[in-house]
Amino acid sequence: MRDVSENAIALSVNGLTRRFGGLVAVDNVSFDLPARRLNAIIGPNGAGKTTLFNLITGEIHPNAGRVVVHGQDITGLKPHQIVRNRVSRTLQIKSVFSGLSVGENVRTAVMVHEGLVSPFRSATSYSAVNNRVAALVDQVGLTPHMHTLASALSYGDVALLEIALALANEPQLLLLDEPVCGMGPQETEQTVRKIREIAKTVDVVLIEHDMEVVFAIADEIIVMAQGAILARGTPAEISSSPAVQEAYLGAPEEADL
Amino acid sequence: MTAASISRAAFVVFAAALLAVPTVIPMLASPFWIDIAAEILIWSLLAASVNLLLGYVGLLSFGQALYFGVGMYGAALSVIHWGAGFWGGLALGILGAMLMAAIAGSVAVRLTWHYFAIITVVFSLILYFAALSAKPLTGGDDGISFGAPDVLAFGDVRLSLANQAVQYYTILLVVAACYALFGLVVRSPLGVRFMAVRENDRRAALVGINVYLTRYLAFVLAGGLAGASGALFAFFGRYASATYMFYHVSGEAVVWAIVGGTGALLGPLFGAGLLIILREVISTVWEHYLFVVGALTILVVMFAPRGLAGAWRDLLAAMTRRPPAVAAAPSPPGTDAAPSTPSANATQGD
Ligand SMILES: Nc1ncnc2c1ncn2[C@@H]1O[C@H](COP(=O)(O)OP(=O)(O)OP(=O)(O)O)[C@@H](O)[C@H]1O
Ligand SMILES: [Mg+2]
Repeated sequence: MRDVSENAIALSVNGLTRRFGGLVAVDNVSFDLPARRLNAIIGPNGAGKTTLFNLITGEIHPNAGRVVVHGQDITGLKPHQIVRNRVSRTLQIKSVFSGLSVGENVRTAVMVHEGLVSPFRSATSYSAVNNRVAALVDQVGLTPHMHTLASALSYGDVALLEIALALANEPQLLLLDEPVCGMGPQETEQTVRKIREIAKTVDVVLIEHDMEVVFAIADEIIVMAQGAILARGTPAEISSSPAVQEAYLGAPEEADL
Repeated sequence: MTAASISRAAFVVFAAALLAVPTVIPMLASPFWIDIAAEILIWSLLAASVNLLLGYVGLLSFGQALYFGVGMYGAALSVIHWGAGFWGGLALGILGAMLMAAIAGSVAVRLTWHYFAIITVVFSLILYFAALSAKPLTGGDDGISFGAPDVLAFGDVRLSLANQAVQYYTILLVVAACYALFGLVVRSPLGVRFMAVRENDRRAALVGINVYLTRYLAFVLAGGLAGASGALFAFFGRYASATYMFYHVSGEAVVWAIVGGTGALLGPLFGAGLLIILREVISTVWEHYLFVVGALTILVVMFAPRGLAGAWRDLLAAMTRRPPAVAAAPSPPGTDAAPSTPSANATQGD
């Protein structure tokens, strides 16, 4: 089981830097995120939020810096190895196995997590897997769509399916990149409720542009701008910070120009 | 009747028809068509190897003839130089092809899409020219021939490939075993990984799949299928030749697989069957039969993008439709549920 002591650190990032040509997308970023909190990262378009996630999950290699998750240094590991270290994420543009049904999507993730590779036994014959799939699909509220092709789901349901995929490895750290982007008010409310529930047992880091959502569910907020951390604090502190107002909240459109 | 039960019935009829070929064909037509049926079975395995890559892990290979050729020479050389029998030659052909695929694949599967397609062609061309120039060993484009060994010699019972029916049933047995194995694998947890990689390689990695290793395994298995095809063809013709390693053979296999329907277990068998029968029928009356093949291929790609297997599945769905079937029905043998083209929904545009 994970360390749940008061001062445990879920995610520690140290001097993380990534350049794309002349652009420094993530610029010497360091922070520790305490476990058992719902942390949010906000910032204008192009601030480097998604790149930060890509660096944490190994999809992009940093030019410098280290990433430590629950005390374990995962810098330089491959994405699939990092997943085995109980780190999961969802993508800004929702990403599932669209030609497979909801059940098959989740079964894939569960089987991989269970380390099943048999080339001969039928994939549907593992009853423990089937149970876990049913439980995960139920957890995100997609049971009525169990046999629906993922490509036939509504956008909001795809986002929920992606969360189910991300939960399959029993993550200790879950990175959500704009989970409610593109959702209607009802779907947003429903998804926010799910995220809150998940955050009771999993350390969640959330990138989100919807300020209402962020201020409603985040325990702590990091504000990024131009690859660096601009401010950090509770929702109340952030909403009253003049620097944040100026760089982000006040001028969201011009911010990335 | 459900789509699944119709499909199962059709499969039983089809299997019975395959078994009946040596007895029924001589009553209706020239026994020459028994050999055509055998040839279709053999070539369909080469198309199946394309299908395993394109239909199940989303890699388009234009170089499967290389593994066909290695399978061919593996069988021929082991019979000629080591006195191997049918089964030994077959096994060595398959193993040789898998070994070749293991070597080429370690480079090729690091690439995707056109880069992958190009490297597979490059590998097959290099080995094609190598085989051409190694004439003392391979016979170059003249090839090498050998006498067909017995399939079974047990006391007084001797089954020889020289007997047309024995040859047909032997080929049918091996081909059926290959498809059975293929079917098992794609429905297994390993097959689940294959399809995840085909659908979305980024998400596949993000659920913990080693995408490179998964593609590599598929590539080696596909090499084995092509090798089985080549070894059987060597025994069928008592002959091996470097010309079969040329890339037009690979290209033909891609066409068979696409016309038959990628992502469906038996799709390549129908694709190879249709196009080989057409070739045999048309080429006797018109030498430019390739025009017909080309036109037909274009028609299939335009009007039945999931190939013959996809059209069959759509037909079944239309026949059995009651409530609007959004849900994916459990797939019957032979018409495995899977979309034809690998979807490129993997990339995130940041
Ligand atoms: N693979 C890449 N190659 C080149 N440049 C990139 C790459 N990924 C990101 N960038 C650039 O890095 C900067 C940061 O991008 P990033 O996607 O991290 O921003 P973001 O904070 O997630 O923005 P948004 O809120 O719009 O999602 C942008 O200027 C972007 O164009
Ligand atoms: Mg982003």
